[in-house]
Amino acid sequence: MIWKDLGRLSRMIIHLRRLSTLRAVNSQRIAPRELPSSEMYHFFWIRRETKVSDSLLGAENFFFPEEMVDEETPQVTKRMTRSCFSTTHSNSSTETRKKSDPRPLSTTDDSVIGEEPTNLDTLLSCFPGRRLQIVELLHLIGPLNCPMLPLFLYGGASTGKTSILLQVFRHLKRPFVYSSCRTCYNPRILFESTLNQLLLHRRNMENSYSSAKRCERPADFVNFLREALTDFINNLKGYVRKSNLKESVEQGDGRMVYLIFDSVELIRGWDKNSGIISLLFKLHDILKMPDVGLIFISNTSPDTYYSNTGYVEPIPVHFPDYKEDDLIQIFMRNQKNQKLYSSFLETVLRPFSRITKQADELSTAFQPLFEKYCEPISDMGIAPNDDMKRMLFGHLRPHIASALNEVFKVSSVSSVKVEAIEDKARRKDSIMKLGTGDASNELDLHLSISAKYLLISAFLASRNRATLDASLFDSTGGSDSRKRRRKSSGTTMEHKENAEKEMLMKGPGTFPLERLLAVFQCLISVDESSVEEEQQAASQLESEDREMRLMSDVLLQLSTLCNANFISKGGSCPLEGSTRYRCNVSEEMAMKVARRLKFPLSKLSAAKFAELLMVYVFHTGSDSILIFHVDVFQTWGGGISRSPCASISAP
Amino acid sequence: MGGESPAEKALVLLRSRLCNHSYILKHFSDSSDSNYSKLKFTLSNSITEACNNSILLLGPRGCGKNAVLDLVLSDLQVEHSDLISVIRLNGLLHSDDNCALKEIARQLCMEHQLLFSKMASSDDNSHFMIAMLRECGLAHKTIIFVLDEFDLFAQGKQRLLYSLLDALQSVTSQAVVIGISCRLDADQLLEKRVRSRFSHRKLLFLPPSKEYLHRLMGNILSLPTDSSFPYEYAIAYNAKLQNILGDQIFTEIINKLSNADSSLDHFLRFLFCAVCYMDLDSGFLSIENFKTALLSIQRQPKLESIKDCSVLELYILVCMKRLEVKEQNSYNFNSIMKEYKVIHDSFKTSDFYAQNVCLRAFEHLIQHELISYMDNRGQNQSVEFRPVKLLLSSHELYQGLKSNGSCPAILQKLIDREI
Repeated sequence: MIWKDLGRLSRMIIHLRRLSTLRAVNSQRIAPRELPSSEMYHFFWIRRETKVSDSLLGAENFFFPEEMVDEETPQVTKRMTRSCFSTTHSNSSTETRKKSDPRPLSTTDDSVIGEEPTNLDTLLSCFPGRRLQIVELLHLIGPLNCPMLPLFLYGGASTGKTSILLQVFRHLKRPFVYSSCRTCYNPRILFESTLNQLLLHRRNMENSYSSAKRCERPADFVNFLREALTDFINNLKGYVRKSNLKESVEQGDGRMVYLIFDSVELIRGWDKNSGIISLLFKLHDILKMPDVGLIFISNTSPDTYYSNTGYVEPIPVHFPDYKEDDLIQIFMRNQKNQKLYSSFLETVLRPFSRITKQADELSTAFQPLFEKYCEPISDMGIAPNDDMKRMLFGHLRPHIASALNEVFKVSSVSSVKVEAIEDKARRKDSIMKLGTGDASNELDLHLSISAKYLLISAFLASRNRATLDASLFDSTGGSDSRKRRRKSSGTTMEHKENAEKEMLMKGPGTFPLERLLAVFQCLISVDESSVEEEQQAASQLESEDREMRLMSDVLLQLSTLCNANFISKGGSCPLEGSTRYRCNVSEEMAMKVARRLKFPLSKLSAAKFAELLMVYVFHTGSDSILIFHVDVFQTWGGGISRSPCASISAP
Repeated sequence: MGGESPAEKALVLLRSRLCNHSYILKHFSDSSDSNYSKLKFTLSNSITEACNNSILLLGPRGCGKNAVLDLVLSDLQVEHSDLISVIRLNGLLHSDDNCALKEIARQLCMEHQLLFSKMASSDDNSHFMIAMLRECGLAHKTIIFVLDEFDLFAQGKQRLLYSLLDALQSVTSQAVVIGISCRLDADQLLEKRVRSRFSHRKLLFLPPSKEYLHRLMGNILSLPTDSSFPYEYAIAYNAKLQNILGDQIFTEIINKLSNADSSLDHFLRFLFCAVCYMDLDSGFLSIENFKTALLSIQRQPKLESIKDCSVLELYILVCMKRLEVKEQNSYNFNSIMKEYKVIHDSFKTSDFYAQNVCLRAFEHLIQHELISYMDNRGQNQSVEFRPVKLLLSSHELYQGLKSNGSCPAILQKLIDREI
């Protein structure tokens, strides 16, 4: 368990390094949360990795006041959220415990602990455009020691829900327990993390990273939670009394404790979820403790939490997306040259905000553009006048259009660099083209040759009907058969073409294993024959030997591809009873792999199939199909390649 | 805490009143036909006459079933302190039979200062429960089982319900089973063998009437004119409150509120919001507080999220709407892109972006839950190919486009044509 976690962590860290290089340069400090790569979009595993990074950022801290940001590295963000708790009541009962506890991981805690509580003005200035929400929150949470009804904060991604709430609590100096359902990805972890924080339990080497209480069932959780909360509140009360004796606390901790559950929308996706979400919403009524405040944070609005018998709704607080003015204020924060940046924003913000209004995505898009914008300027401290602005705008304008179309792209090399490289390579090309330049040319899939062939054959099998196989892979190609039948009329042709396109839009089709192997066999033989033509010297025996080598572990390769989600296993076909597969690889990807293999895939590209269908299927001699069929049959034994058979019945 | 201003003290007092349901109900439980008196009569009868009973409290959510029961139980505990012991179960937590038996055993042990063994099997627990019922019956002590979310106990084999209600049939035991559910057909969910053992006593809880709410408000929101507050402040505050309560605008607000949801809980939430917005400087409630509270309680989340959409996201929504009007039975991202291209080609719009950018916007929409996938199957298929559906009515979309400041005129025109 621990090792698994460690492995995951190291992967995350590697990924985060990448992210941090992206965000380090500029000063918005807005963590790019999800960075999809367009050219590799269907690589499910890559996408999953970005999700993982998301979960490490867990708290969705996207916007921090400067003093915290300065020490902040991406890995710290998660720690942040944990340490928030210890911070807020560091001056309460934990103090002694803290000193005695060596806590090897707490290197960054000091910066947070040493921080003074923010006052309201700095709080408001930290979050431009969020005044209404902050004031509303403060009103609803209320003055010291007064009970509250559950709150429900909702709003789109990167609207500052979590960070504002945490900062509000820092401002109020009240104890809270924060657990994000993104990092706590199942009920047990969620329960245990909440309890750990309440019991001031820290998982470390000594207790071999175990939780304070082991609890899996909601029933146990509620019992433990009630105990822990009672203890905790009693502690707080005792502390308040003591401190009242010693000194008057100007704005003490109070005796309320707040439970914050972040990203509750994810709970709906958990297995057997029905209970947990209604339990959380009902927790206030179940606990019946006036000293406990509940706050939920969600990406989605309250009306998306349907349940059969309804639930008592918490009080909603909406965080709308930032308006354009707010965005300007956000991006202007921490800028060295305010005037220069504002003139930059004038040019870029309007077109970009038509695509997305999420501040984190915009900041990643703006960073390289601003570098580009500054290129002609030698002195960075300069305040641009109108002429200069016009000049800079003229310099930037060609890049905006291309940047618009890769707002969400992430490549190993930033797009500007790619542009620079390609600029050198072919100066004459228009800049427009450069933007879409292929950044992942260097990307190599470390797959074996046969796996690559398998991938291509899966791609072909997925994109085409089984009836087309014969015409595609028939060695004679049917081209030499002279007797053409009547030409089919234009309308049916068009009709078929449309149907074909429709099918492609519906997504890749499924195919049985036998068909995949048959296609694979054909591809291999085509390739080998071409090789043989080139190298006549190769002996017959040797080539056969090679063929065997390619085929031997083909099933193993298939399972590798399945694991990488290039090919996915679907349900079994009700008629044939065998498992069906589907290829998840995009056309560009397949083309790339084919190019690497020097395989003429583009000649077989999907666009030509309709034509092929018309020309070939109707007049391919059944002999040749039979030959193909027999060929496959000999290699693979009985019970295979129904697909060529199907094509015989077609004419 | 001496440093607090009277206004702050008033706020804390009002808030704690609103969060405490039994306070709210206490003043309104005296009338003879109220659920409170009925329930109390039934329960105290079964306690004093040492008989078994079962009863269901039914009614929509937030109508005070639990609060009334709590009130009754606390009263009974005062009246017959050592004659009852209360076991509380919740369907959300204990719908599993073993879990429920364990919880019953745990609470019985707590109640009677016995040692509870976590390791006891469910069979042991069940035997323990029966034995305890017998013992308590002999000692003339009534065990009251409160089963919240009763409908959830009726899932599955209903072993727990059976064993509880079956135990009620024996002469030695002395227990009351109270089920609470927001499903009016909760007793229809029971199996035959369980239903025949159930007494079919039902108490129906309904949303309160307007007069009741009015009285309630006056009661909750007014301040006591005793020594806890400065006399002048309390008088001034109460006068102001009466002013507001008599106001025509205020009656309208209350009407609007109860038109949407007239349950007690909803109403209390509204009052809580209003009280939260109280101006601490003046220390008085104002009609504005109630207006803002109404706005913040009655949200229109779909409209809000359309308002937040960027232009590209609006384009996608309109494309989807067009596809739906064309009665395409299932469509996916690729078909939307085709439609998007059609719009672009025919109107030469300036907003035409690459597929991957659109895909991203599309994912934003899914995140906002303005659109969703048709089914949960095919999760390993990539996003472009999964069939999707629009979660907006055409009216909502129309309203949303109107309210979105940056919506291009062409989209308005397109959607006008569709409707």
